[in-house]
Amino acid sequence: MNGPRTASRGPGIPVAFLLLVLLPLILMPLAAVFVFAFKNGPGTFLESLRDPDAQFAMRFSLLIAFGTAVVNAVLGTFAAYVLSKYRFAGERSLGIVVNLPVAIPTVVVGTSLLLLWGPIGLLGRLIDPLGLQPMFTPAGVLLAHLFVTFPYMLGAVKPVLDELETTYEEAAQTIGANRWQTFRWVLLPALRGGIFTGALLTFAHSLGEFGATVMVSGNLRLRTQTAPLYIFAKFEAGNIAQANAVAAVLALLSFLIFFALLRSPRRRAQQG
Amino acid sequence: MDGLRERSLRIALPIALGGALFLWALWPWLPFSGAANPPRTIVFYGFSILGDVFNEGIFPAFQKEWRQRTGEKVEILGSFAGSGTVTNQIILGVPADVALLSLESDAQKLAAAGVVPDGIWRELPHAGIVNRTPFVILVRPGNPKRIRDFADLGRTGIGVVHPDPMTSGGANWAIVAEYGAGVRGHPQKPDAGFEMLFGVWKNVVAQASSARAARTQFENGFGDALITYEQEALRDRALGKLRADIVYPRRTVLSEHTLVVIDRNVLPGERKRARALVDFLWGEKAQRIFVEYGFRSVVEDLNTGNSAFGRIDDPFRIADFGGWKRANKEIVEGVWRKRVLPKVKH
Amino acid sequence: MSIVLKDLTKIFGKHRVVDRVSLEVEPGELFVLLGESGSGKSTILRLIAGLWRADGGTILLHGRDVTATPPRSRGVGFVFQNYSVFRHMSVAENVEFGLRVRRRPRAERRQRREELLDLLGLGGLGHRYANQLSGGQQQRVALARALAYEPQILLLDEPFGALDIKIRAQLRRSLREIQRKLGVATVLVTHDQVEAFELGDRIGVIERGRLLEVGRPEDLYERPRSLAVATFVGSGTVLVGRSHGDVARFGDVELPIPAEVPHESGARVRVLFRPEDVSLSESPPGGADRPPVLGRGEIFDQAFGGATKRLRLRLPPLREVRQIAPPLPYGEEGLIVEADVSAEERTPQLPWVVLRSWHILRRPAPRLLACDPGDGTTDVLEMADHLADAVEGAVTLLAVAPEGAQTSKLEGPLTARRDEVGLHRAAVRVRAGDPVEQVLAEQAEGVHDFILVGFRGGEGRRPGRGESTAVRLLDYLPVPILLVRGPIRRPRRILICTAVGEPGKADIRIGGWVARQLAAEATLLHVHRGEEPPQWVRDHLRRGVATLRSLEVAASLTLRPAETPAEGIRDESREGDYDLIVVGGHPPELRGERENVTRQVVELAGCSVLVVPESA
Repeated sequence: MNGPRTASRGPGIPVAFLLLVLLPLILMPLAAVFVFAFKNGPGTFLESLRDPDAQFAMRFSLLIAFGTAVVNAVLGTFAAYVLSKYRFAGERSLGIVVNLPVAIPTVVVGTSLLLLWGPIGLLGRLIDPLGLQPMFTPAGVLLAHLFVTFPYMLGAVKPVLDELETTYEEAAQTIGANRWQTFRWVLLPALRGGIFTGALLTFAHSLGEFGATVMVSGNLRLRTQTAPLYIFAKFEAGNIAQANAVAAVLALLSFLIFFALLRSPRRRAQQG
Repeated sequence: MDGLRERSLRIALPIALGGALFLWALWPWLPFSGAANPPRTIVFYGFSILGDVFNEGIFPAFQKEWRQRTGEKVEILGSFAGSGTVTNQIILGVPADVALLSLESDAQKLAAAGVVPDGIWRELPHAGIVNRTPFVILVRPGNPKRIRDFADLGRTGIGVVHPDPMTSGGANWAIVAEYGAGVRGHPQKPDAGFEMLFGVWKNVVAQASSARAARTQFENGFGDALITYEQEALRDRALGKLRADIVYPRRTVLSEHTLVVIDRNVLPGERKRARALVDFLWGEKAQRIFVEYGFRSVVEDLNTGNSAFGRIDDPFRIADFGGWKRANKEIVEGVWRKRVLPKVKH
Repeated sequence: MSIVLKDLTKIFGKHRVVDRVSLEVEPGELFVLLGESGSGKSTILRLIAGLWRADGGTILLHGRDVTATPPRSRGVGFVFQNYSVFRHMSVAENVEFGLRVRRRPRAERRQRREELLDLLGLGGLGHRYANQLSGGQQQRVALARALAYEPQILLLDEPFGALDIKIRAQLRRSLREIQRKLGVATVLVTHDQVEAFELGDRIGVIERGRLLEVGRPEDLYERPRSLAVATFVGSGTVLVGRSHGDVARFGDVELPIPAEVPHESGARVRVLFRPEDVSLSESPPGGADRPPVLGRGEIFDQAFGGATKRLRLRLPPLREVRQIAPPLPYGEEGLIVEADVSAEERTPQLPWVVLRSWHILRRPAPRLLACDPGDGTTDVLEMADHLADAVEGAVTLLAVAPEGAQTSKLEGPLTARRDEVGLHRAAVRVRAGDPVEQVLAEQAEGVHDFILVGFRGGEGRRPGRGESTAVRLLDYLPVPILLVRGPIRRPRRILICTAVGEPGKADIRIGGWVARQLAAEATLLHVHRGEEPPQWVRDHLRRGVATLRSLEVAASLTLRPAETPAEGIRDESREGDYDLIVVGGHPPELRGERENVTRQVVELAGCSVLVVPESA
């Protein structure tokens, strides 16, 4: 029994109060998604999911999320390594800059990407005549997601690196390992947990990203429409059942990722 | 050993799940999946209420005809949002080949931004106008507030749902409808247009980014009345989804929807297909589909094809107010923004 | 030699963590670096391994200069204090890691791994992970991992630091055996003397980045050369007394000073005796060669130590004797002596404290800083040679290059000149920047006792050049400065001037010491303006002569009338054929007329001048 440690009158009242607050705040809205998704029976639900646009949106979102997670796993780990292992002028400012995307509204991220890469943007103006146009294409969506989710990887990996004593690397060096071998055999395995956590967080955020995506994707069905954009478009158009079907799937995926995240530290603790 | 197996299972399971998810997501792009990527595409941007008629009616019909004619499979990628949003997206560079905008002034915005030459759409049939639909009032079933015309919307205690003129073409049409009804109903009264507009706007309880979104809001229970395209209401009624009554004002505007071909986005190889789609839109088949979906055709004879079309005593057009350029300046800017908006703010 | 360190230096910020450490480790030797935490011993180890870059000096491993070689190419095995066993690898994978990065075949890796695991008593643990091992086992895995690729050098950083005492003793023995068996040259760093004594073939004692002393454990214990080593290594008592001829006096106790220990009569002498050198008896010992007795002591504390017990005794104070170790509690006036006696021995209440054996500590050799004039002349170097020879001092040769110059270029010629003069043992240093600043910095860092600097008369007055380095140095005068001026020979006649105002004691003491070391004659000079000097001055001069004679220096007194003190000194030095003039100098706040005299003497003298700070 996990009895209360301090409360003498038992946990009843505070727990009830917490539930009372959480119910309308978090639990009921989530439940509403599922209720509406299945309101017209599972048939309609599956029908909605079978819609080619919905299928595309979900597949596209998943691929973008996979891509974002993979690219940022590499980039974020590299950034964490540089920031953690090297001391240089401007290191602090760089540390702030790489964490900036967390603080910037995603809509602003979308706008700034458009103003850089868009046909009338600073760089876009130069590459547009070459036939290169990342905006309003899957590449643009990927760019936006990389930007928005960059800090998650860093936040998961850098603390692990910071805490890892340098003697492990030094041991590998004296033993005769070169930089790559040291990274591959000594650092990377130690970072596995952090990278896994970071990648999952990145994946989850990418899956639900809306603000930046709506700016840069062009919202083209069957081309650049992600699942959240699909949900929004369908909802705005009044097709609430269709919107909710996809929303329910997204919510379900998020739950799965959440459970994976909850379990990963436990696994690390067992190994370490 | 058991512990080891349990651990490997716990690692293998998420990996298997993740892998399966990835495979499923990638499936259509895999070479053996059978869903070969159709290379021939037309990118079509339209304003909000066009979603159903194009996705369900026009595109399949055109694809079928094009296939019969050439044997080619053409894919049409559509994106539908508020007319202003679509216009801004195109200005920012989305690769739209063809756009159907709610009002001509959005086309003029494209021209002003240098996306298309000014007035190029007027070279198309019917000066670029693909179809029409009058603006009507939707009220709660049984019309409990007894709303008969625009003037009734100004009564106290009425809540009006209105799309946002900043992003919605429909909202601009609605303003012209309200203003025009006032002016044409009281030709002697000097400021009848303003009074009508002000009456409606002081009762606006919700503004949505597009006509479609405004209707969703109305359906979700906001307000007593919604000013919207007749087509929307008819379409819903046909589908049995309409939980509202349609009120036909005595005087209202017939909105006219302008087609723009964005030539610079049309790849040379696509020009033929894009042209064919444009021509198809004014063809009898497409115009009949529009009528079926509640639009009024530019070919008057076809409009008898839909018995649901209501009677309007005094329909007027934007041309009656000197076209969108002037209407924008005199009605939307001159009256609504400069006089009505400041007065309803407080 | 397996490891040769030459002038190894590491600087963190403004701090010299490792300061010119030179060291040689023979093949197969187990060398222990002993020092307190923060002394820089681990830094030396990291420099040898290449984990940190040295800021100065060279590292040779088996004759190969590896100073700039990355750690992985140095072929050393390193065991960290925290073991750093890779946690995600099994024991077997850890041990094989060095062979795997060298791409050795699987069979070889396996064989070597099994060998090592057996050797270290880890057989059967190959599949385990670090978190399934005890601290001692992890430590052995780390050792096996470091030995797997057969490094020629093994470096161990406090390898037993985190283990409990019982395991520690056990592991020490097995480490010793393994090291012997493999014959790998090993450097072990520890702060634990017991460990150092048990393991080390030789021990180097490190304090504040400097290598104080190197020697076999028994030498360091019984015959430490310096006070620091005497008090750091083992416990024991250090007393300060005075020498009288060939004996050192501690109150009524006289201990003979061995011939090999240089000493001077009247100088302070320090004696060390260990607890086991002290015996206690009920009655005072008699007989012809009875051992020295410190007095009767009162036992106030005892600690059980197995076969022996350690007693702490309080003794009444001895006349003119100061105790350095163990430190006396505040207010304590007597002596505190530790004695180890057999555990069974019954000790009397007030035993006589008898010394069975003792060790007279050497004075540290004086350190001379000779500044190369940079014009190719060797006057200063020759003088340094004479002086170093006489005082058994260590010489550092310093050249100062202009700011921004490449210091390495000057090293060769300076070394050549050094060898030409015959100062082969002198260390060579080149610094860049302002000469005065660099000389002062070098003196402060190297704790030199004398500065030798070249001087030519009138140089300071040359227009456009400002004052010479020598003259500017006199403004600081941190230690006695010898201004060298030809002709150069071993000084035989020394003129000590007390004429400069208030007659100082430092100039007589230091001048006398130099005269004694050089076996030179000393003349004490007083310059007056013609009238008889007052009685107190004459008393002072007489005491001065007595002091010189007590230092066994042939001394005489000369009184000389002259217009100014400087002129008197000049005339006396010319007539008397002196080789060296000793004159007092003053810190800036006391300067004035007197300093002027020092300057004038320096300018006018025809030979070398030793300027002694009055505070010395």
